[in-house]
Amino acid sequence: MQPQSIERKLERHLLQVEKPGRYVGGEYNSVVKDWDRADVKVALAFPDIYDLGMSNLGIMNLYHQVNQRPDMLAERVFSPWLDMEALMRQEGIPLYSLETKHPVSDFDLLGISLPYEQLYTNALNLLDLAGMPVLSRDRDARYPLVIAGGHACFNPEPMADFIDAFVIGEGEEIIVEIASAIAKCRGLPRHQQLRQIARIQGMYVPRFYDVEYHDDGTVRSILPNEPGIPEHVLKRIVITLPKPFTKFIVPNIDTVHNRAPIEIMRGCTRGCRFCHAGMVTRPVRERPVQEIMAAIDEIVRHTGFEEISLLSLSSSDYVWVEQLAEEVNRVYKDAGLSLSLPSLRIESASADLLEKIGGTRRSGFTFAPEAATEKMRDMINKYVPDEQVIQTAKDVYSRGWRTIKFYFMIGHPDETLEDVQAIIDLCNLTLREGTKILGKKATLNVGVSTFIPKPHTPFQWVPQDSRASVEKKQRLLKTQMRRGGMHLRWNNIEDSEFEGWLSRGDRRLGRVIRRAWESGCKFDAWGDQHQHRKWLAAFEEFDIDPKFYNFRERGLEEVFPWDHIDAGVHKKFLREDYLMSIKRETRVDCRDKCFACGILPKFAKERSTTEDMAWECPPVTPISERQRARQVAIPISSIG
Amino acid sequence: MSHLSPVLQRLRVTFGKAGPLKYTSNLDTAKIWERVLRRADLPILYTRGFNTRPRISLAMPLPLGISSECEILEISLRERIKLCEQDLRERMLAVSPQGLTIGGIVEVDARAPSLHSLITSAEYRIRFLDEIDRDTLRQRIDDLLKRETIIVDRVRRRKRSVMDIRPLILDLYHDAGDDLLAHLSVGDRGNLRPDQLIEHLGLAGLHYDVHRYRLHFLPE
Repeated sequence: MQPQSIERKLERHLLQVEKPGRYVGGEYNSVVKDWDRADVKVALAFPDIYDLGMSNLGIMNLYHQVNQRPDMLAERVFSPWLDMEALMRQEGIPLYSLETKHPVSDFDLLGISLPYEQLYTNALNLLDLAGMPVLSRDRDARYPLVIAGGHACFNPEPMADFIDAFVIGEGEEIIVEIASAIAKCRGLPRHQQLRQIARIQGMYVPRFYDVEYHDDGTVRSILPNEPGIPEHVLKRIVITLPKPFTKFIVPNIDTVHNRAPIEIMRGCTRGCRFCHAGMVTRPVRERPVQEIMAAIDEIVRHTGFEEISLLSLSSSDYVWVEQLAEEVNRVYKDAGLSLSLPSLRIESASADLLEKIGGTRRSGFTFAPEAATEKMRDMINKYVPDEQVIQTAKDVYSRGWRTIKFYFMIGHPDETLEDVQAIIDLCNLTLREGTKILGKKATLNVGVSTFIPKPHTPFQWVPQDSRASVEKKQRLLKTQMRRGGMHLRWNNIEDSEFEGWLSRGDRRLGRVIRRAWESGCKFDAWGDQHQHRKWLAAFEEFDIDPKFYNFRERGLEEVFPWDHIDAGVHKKFLREDYLMSIKRETRVDCRDKCFACGILPKFAKERSTTEDMAWECPPVTPISERQRARQVAIPISSIG
Repeated sequence: MSHLSPVLQRLRVTFGKAGPLKYTSNLDTAKIWERVLRRADLPILYTRGFNTRPRISLAMPLPLGISSECEILEISLRERIKLCEQDLRERMLAVSPQGLTIGGIVEVDARAPSLHSLITSAEYRIRFLDEIDRDTLRQRIDDLLKRETIIVDRVRRRKRSVMDIRPLILDLYHDAGDDLLAHLSVGDRGNLRPDQLIEHLGLAGLHYDVHRYRLHFLPE
């Protein structure tokens, strides 16, 4: 269909849907290139509605990388909301890009962002709305190549039937390489095109791997079925972070996070055992303060956003965080600009930092103690003593801020009701301190999420907590956290179960995902849209037991469906850390001591091109050199 | 009155919304302007207090889906700027999203009443996207205008009331191109939207475009 026909249809019908501004583009800073003059055309899709997708920094970064190239163009695609989807299907409007209203099927490449598993059914729906077969094997070279990337793709197997190729790791550089490769192998059969794609470091093409299973359903092996295909796909990283993108698209309608984000640091060295991001985004890469300050200045000039968010997994660990806060305070104190610095450690210094940055107006104070007993804190390797939590809260309340938000996690199978009771007690104690300072104005919002073991983490062997146990724990929280000023939020049990299946699922789940989608499942991330029964019915139809994925303690030697995907961290390291957790042993921040996670040897070549401390990994000397050093040391000391 | 900062200059901008921007609501249009002004680096005045907002206001809400060339924005500045209309217009346009157009920019007395209270009616051009029988259209217009009263049930602020909307139709005719031209009351004294008019003409099933091209004021 021609873009003009799509536009004409939109003109007629768009006022029938809620928030039509989601579907028209035309925003300031959106890049509209001459379609006919671009050699490679890339559609970048976020498989949820505009309001959410527009806040996604990953999509924006890729959009920028591709559009920077004079011979390429990138345009945006989002999921239509239910009303718009019904209209599109009724009026025969195919999925189209916001910039030039071209059907997605006219592009060379469709890149789908999959940061979390709940988007899988929406990804299938996008393919279908684009008029494309959902199965990779049913699409030949007439269709755009369909790739996916994002954190969920570190276990690509559940989506292996639908996606032609996965980006494992960071996308900024690889996206352009993929686009160039496509231009070079245009006209070839899809299978041959994919062979070219598979040669790019960091690309995983599922059809080139065969999976065999044991009788008990666990994986026996995952092996390449073509010559020249790597046995393990090592993730892609950028050696240093590319300059922050500052020409953010400014939406014409309100969106969920209507602000500009700047990534101040990537990666985290804390080693919290439940944290997927902390394991898969290594090594740490930090941005110089001057680069961040320049980016803030450019963002204000280029976008006019009134709010900027300084993002990282653990802002307190950003080496120059104090200097950054000082600078921001000096330059933007009275500029009508709100900056936020989320993910701060629970310590008094955090209150100082936030006071300087001054962005608490909207974001408030959010801290994540995660657990409230010594036992659980040791097990998850995140240790924050009660006194420190309470002291920090006191500091915050006594500076006049009324609201604090705490994040906790329940659902480790070794957690007992006493551990949960400790969360309640700690929250009560905190709010009591707040009330002493501010009276009834003090509030404490508590979010208690349910732990889901993730692949590539030390907890990948651990079973998910049983439904009965989570119910009991949540009931305790709900009955005991009813004080005035305290607001509790928790995860729906079925949502957690669902996330669990897909997180540690294997290739056999492809059929289940497809059937769930065929029976009407989509927008699974939207609590009220998730249709759990249909998912269960899909499992039953294919005689697959969902409990196999969630409630089984995996054997130490088990081959995991994602073992051929190399996130840069040794499985040996994760196993060691898992065993330490059982023994309640902890590890310090690995900036202080290297635990040989695997990042350095796997990216030795990249590392050799950086400055010594660029990744914050402490110096490690090889064993042979360490011995030589000792031999040399003796005569020196004897001289002394 | 600490929330009142001194307004050093007040500007009145006539602007238009076309293309994709007609799908932006009134509230979001204000946000777009806030950011345009910030990008243009104008010294906007902010309200004081916990949640500071820029002191800008749109004179008359434009219903979603209607394009326009006669909207009015009032801006309070915290510093005086040299007003060269042409330069200022270019400075704003250079940082505007697709579909935003700028007509005139004038300075008004900082103490002048808000324009909202002075707007009485608006003129709209309604273009049908499908072919429409000219005689039917003429007949419907005549029939509607002949009626002395048009009583409708209205629910406003959860209160049900009956009202006569006939006086709100100030003029209605079609031109040679079969566009419908409607002059309708707007604002607090009585408001009739173009889609409501179309409904009373019995044409609600048709697809059409609406463009607002003029606002009428009481003398200041």
